[in-house]
Amino acid sequence: MALGQGTAWKLAFPLKIVFQRFAFLTLICVSIALLVLGKADLVLMERVRTISTDALSPVLGTLSQPVDAINKGITRVKELATLVEENERLRRENERLLRWQAVSRSLDQENENYRRLLNVLTDPLVLPISARVVGDSGGPFVRTLLLSAGSRDGIRVGQAVVGPLGLVGRIAETGKNSARVLLLTDLNSRIPVVLEKSRHKGILVGDNSTSPTLEYLPNNAQVSAGDRVVTSGDGAMLPAGRPIGIVSSVRDGQIRIQTFADWERLEYVSVLRYDLPGLTDRHTNPGDLGESLLGD
Amino acid sequence: MLEQPPVSYQINQVLRGSIPFWLTFLLALLTVVPIRIDGFAVISPALVSMSVFYWSLHRPYLMAAPVVFFLGLISDILTGVPLGLSSFMLLIVHGVAVSQRHVFVGKAFILTWWGYLLIATGISMLTWLIACIYSLALMPFFPVLIQLIITVLIFPVFAWCFGAIQHSLLKGI
Repeated sequence: MALGQGTAWKLAFPLKIVFQRFAFLTLICVSIALLVLGKADLVLMERVRTISTDALSPVLGTLSQPVDAINKGITRVKELATLVEENERLRRENERLLRWQAVSRSLDQENENYRRLLNVLTDPLVLPISARVVGDSGGPFVRTLLLSAGSRDGIRVGQAVVGPLGLVGRIAETGKNSARVLLLTDLNSRIPVVLEKSRHKGILVGDNSTSPTLEYLPNNAQVSAGDRVVTSGDGAMLPAGRPIGIVSSVRDGQIRIQTFADWERLEYVSVLRYDLPGLTDRHTNPGDLGESLLGD
Repeated sequence: MLEQPPVSYQINQVLRGSIPFWLTFLLALLTVVPIRIDGFAVISPALVSMSVFYWSLHRPYLMAAPVVFFLGLISDILTGVPLGLSSFMLLIVHGVAVSQRHVFVGKAFILTWWGYLLIATGISMLTWLIACIYSLALMPFFPVLIQLIITVLIFPVFAWCFGAIQHSLLKGI
């Protein structure tokens, strides 16, 4: 009996090792296969991704809350030190902004009058959905954010995402209650933009660095550092005229943009629901009010 | 003949045995929690690879290849990189660690650290290369380098924590 067990064990032991080796190699192959399949944009892979992100996003939301609280505490302490100067600065800025407000009001009214005179079709209503940022890209290869709102809340692939200071990116993936934002600094990000003053149109191309480049401008376009860049609204996916950043450098024909968005303080962002009747369909971009919780 | 251990004991063993997995899972989540330090999201250390390396060395049967594969998938999904990339890299870390166990286990810690430095460097290069091929573009290499340096520098801290867990909760497993 003892002998029988011994021989069985002697046989089983190498078998186990062979099985482990086999499993290891198989899994390596599966990983590579997944990589290749991922490149092919399969719907199934997309589904797996979104379902898993949906499941994980509440956990991330909970985990990020204490971190948020600590961060707020640290900022508060930091602010205490510069309270007086900050107050002074804000007072001056407020004065300046009040003057601006007066100018802007009169211009707005003037614009409105001209529009009415010319019978211009106004842009459709843009409705923001505010969502909490629960995750960022933990690594050097992608620039994305994870939001705690998804298709249930009316978020669709392609919608613009704006922070308090300017455009942040676009929605790349949506689950039921989570969504992934492709930041405009990401390698795969392409945003149709226009130079605010000269009205030359171009494409903002991300390259994983902090300052994306402006490409496909017409040859005769005059660009200088400090020019403001805003969304052009081409392609009917993004509302026009949303601020993005300023031209920071023009070197060897390469134009770099300094974005307005403060990448480190994105706690909440707004996803813009934007609907051009007839140009967009409800499955891709906007979705109407009725299907979201906001309409209730 | 040995007596069958009671059920409660078995459950206890299973729960304790799954600690390396849950720990690594938690680290994968922590990697993407927004810390909001300037530029930190880009260079946040590869905590998952540390954990996989450590447990593959010290408890290879609790950090088996399928587990590593699954953890890789989770971190791919969380960070938004192409599905399969982290799985592939973590499996390589696991494979190297398991095959070179006799070199590291029971020796001075500095040797483990050195080993991790070598593996992490290799993995960083490889990941960068694959990411470049995948997106058909030259990715900035500098952030990868910084991430590597930070990861290797904080490895002892995490290794110490893992060691503490190994000697308290996983004693005899």
